[in-house]
Amino acid sequence: MAILVVQVLNSLFYASVLFLIAAGLSLIFGVMRIVNLAHGSLFAVGAYVAAWLVGRAIAMGVPAVWLLLLMPVAAFAVALIGIVIEPLLLRPFYRRAEEYQLLVTFGLLLILEDLMRLVWGGLPLTADTVMDAIPSIHVGAQIYPGYNILVLAIGVTAAILLWVVIYGTRFGVLLRATSQDRRMASALGLNVGRVYVAAFAVGCFMAGLGGAIVVPSHAAVLGMGIEALILAFVVVVVGGLGSLKGALVGALIVSFVRTAGIQFFPEIELAVLYLIAAFVLIIRPTGLFGTA
Amino acid sequence: MEKPTNASRRDFLNKLGVTAGAAGLVGAGAVAGPPLLRAAEPPKGKIPDTPFKTGHLTFLSGPAAVLGEPSLKAHTLAAEEINAQGGFLGKRKIETVKADEAAGTDANVKELRRMKLSENIDLFTGVISSGNSPALGPVCEELSLLSIFTDGCTDFLFDKIVPKPKYLFRLTNIQSADGITSAIGTAQAWPKVRKIAHIHPDYSYGRNAAEHFTLAIERLIPGTQTVSENWPALGTSDFTAQITKILSSEPDLLFTSLWGGDYVAFYKQALRYGLFDKMKVATTLAFGAAPHAIGKDHPEGVLAGVHANYHFTYPGGDRWPINKSFVGRYYKRWNEYPNFEAEGAYTALYMLKDAIERANKLTGGWPEDDAIISQLEGLGFDAPSGYIYIRPDNHQGYKDTVIGFSKNLADYPFPVWDPDRIITIPVRNITAPPDWPKPGTTHNESTAAANWIKTTWPKIST
Repeated sequence: MAILVVQVLNSLFYASVLFLIAAGLSLIFGVMRIVNLAHGSLFAVGAYVAAWLVGRAIAMGVPAVWLLLLMPVAAFAVALIGIVIEPLLLRPFYRRAEEYQLLVTFGLLLILEDLMRLVWGGLPLTADTVMDAIPSIHVGAQIYPGYNILVLAIGVTAAILLWVVIYGTRFGVLLRATSQDRRMASALGLNVGRVYVAAFAVGCFMAGLGGAIVVPSHAAVLGMGIEALILAFVVVVVGGLGSLKGALVGALIVSFVRTAGIQFFPEIELAVLYLIAAFVLIIRPTGLFGTA
Repeated sequence: MEKPTNASRRDFLNKLGVTAGAAGLVGAGAVAGPPLLRAAEPPKGKIPDTPFKTGHLTFLSGPAAVLGEPSLKAHTLAAEEINAQGGFLGKRKIETVKADEAAGTDANVKELRRMKLSENIDLFTGVISSGNSPALGPVCEELSLLSIFTDGCTDFLFDKIVPKPKYLFRLTNIQSADGITSAIGTAQAWPKVRKIAHIHPDYSYGRNAAEHFTLAIERLIPGTQTVSENWPALGTSDFTAQITKILSSEPDLLFTSLWGGDYVAFYKQALRYGLFDKMKVATTLAFGAAPHAIGKDHPEGVLAGVHANYHFTYPGGDRWPINKSFVGRYYKRWNEYPNFEAEGAYTALYMLKDAIERANKLTGGWPEDDAIISQLEGLGFDAPSGYIYIRPDNHQGYKDTVIGFSKNLADYPFPVWDPDRIITIPVRNITAPPDWPKPGTTHNESTAAANWIKTTWPKIST
């Protein structure tokens, strides 16, 4: 029983991180119709920046609990990168065919991966002091890290905030209008360029936040962005690209099925996720909540 | 070979020559004196002063850069040292063309051809991935290109793909020795373990480690059973579900071949779930990827593997001056400690230097590749890791395998081996002998080593 509870918590923890990555990817696609292949690398940048900041802060003698505040700082840093990238790199390609957009964002992925190696080197970067700042809890005979519960809470909060922003604020209306008909929105006097930068920055912020909150429990390693990108794609394939609800449901499905796969079919752990994606593609090619 | 049926574990381990503790013999070559430091004799005949071009392929980006960067660093160090003496035979300076193995197998094969055909390299070296070595090996032979792989250690390469190599050599211990070494370490330290959980990266290396560990442990500790299997993808960062599953199966021992960033992420998460308090843990590569990649928070007493090859603290102290001076020079040059890939890349160039000098004494002038090859075949060499022997039949380097237990010492900012509990195993006793039938001939095991163990190892009675 304790094992079951811990496995459910593990799945929810994993789903929180997946949601943060996939929601950003989906939001950017929903508004700008661009599949950002560098999205996973932005997640990795968030992880590296957070781990690096934590390392600096520890060296300066900052108490462990305060280190938690560095997580949003790292996420903002990634959002700033987004604000620079969108107008400079992506904007010239909106009118071009999709292949060009894929090439540009794939190039960006390679550049970011190399930059991370140049700046932070090939060794894993860790920030587990943050994790140990929060006490573990006991579930029956099992120990569960309290920090993972915090990550879960951040994931839930982020989902609620995102909903409130998109469905309850003026900015959300602008986002949805641009997403539905860019030309019409523009003709009605909307500054589409600003909406794009804002949407891209929000998407990057979420990816960066995902990386920042996951790094204390994992570690920042080269290639983590690629793993994240692939998983985020599985999530949006299942949930439907461009749909926030899809990102949420997709993250939950992927996470719980993965845990079940690990527990019961370890030999095909790798294949399980792709099997779900393939299954959804066959019965509903647009994903569970996709529209296009 | 007779097949004893009721040998005791201690007898059998003794028969294998397993040595534990600080007294392990380094190797038979100690009498020859350290060749790295030997004064150069003037070469015979006229030597051209054209550069000796070397292609070094290793991981320079992605998660495996943690293995590959030290390889290039040590290659560079060796080249700088040899060039400071004028180069090979005092004349031919080493020039290196480097390439990133992370480009993928097909791109690596193309790059190898390009290096030979347009850069006209004299030597190809490096190679880490066991996925790449079987693709590159046949091309080295086809191009008649003298090649020394410093890893890519799959048994498959010389068992099946290039069974009779001419130009191709490889220095690291073969892969099957890795899992077997961990099994012997386990049997010696914890003979009471029965329930065993596994977690391995889901590719050839992880499969090979699990298979050979299990083959050996079944014979060394009868009555063991696998209670949990986990096969995460290489490059996984979230292990929480696997850790909970392992805990739920309540094993006595966890055996893992996770490495690099995967292992770091795994042990950090496992610590927080209390895994290390509830079972013994044996690994193949905990300290292998890079000794300094592991933090002081790593638990003590873990059987910490180094790919059965080399940890910079062994042979330690003044017992084997070649190692002490290599570690010192590497640290001075790169401000870090070398991993086993670094030791391999460094040894490759010095071993070649030795072979070239021997060939020059026989033939005079710059020796032909054939003359160098005949010197490399059967060469015994004192490397930083100990005595290494190149078997003439399969061009594979063999050295005693080594494994130890993690411990925090004040001398290093990361855990190292407990100097009193290092285990060494003569490699000839855990690998198939020359001419043992290859897979696909009289048997269909995955490796010659697997068939050899099944045929010749006794099941231990107590």
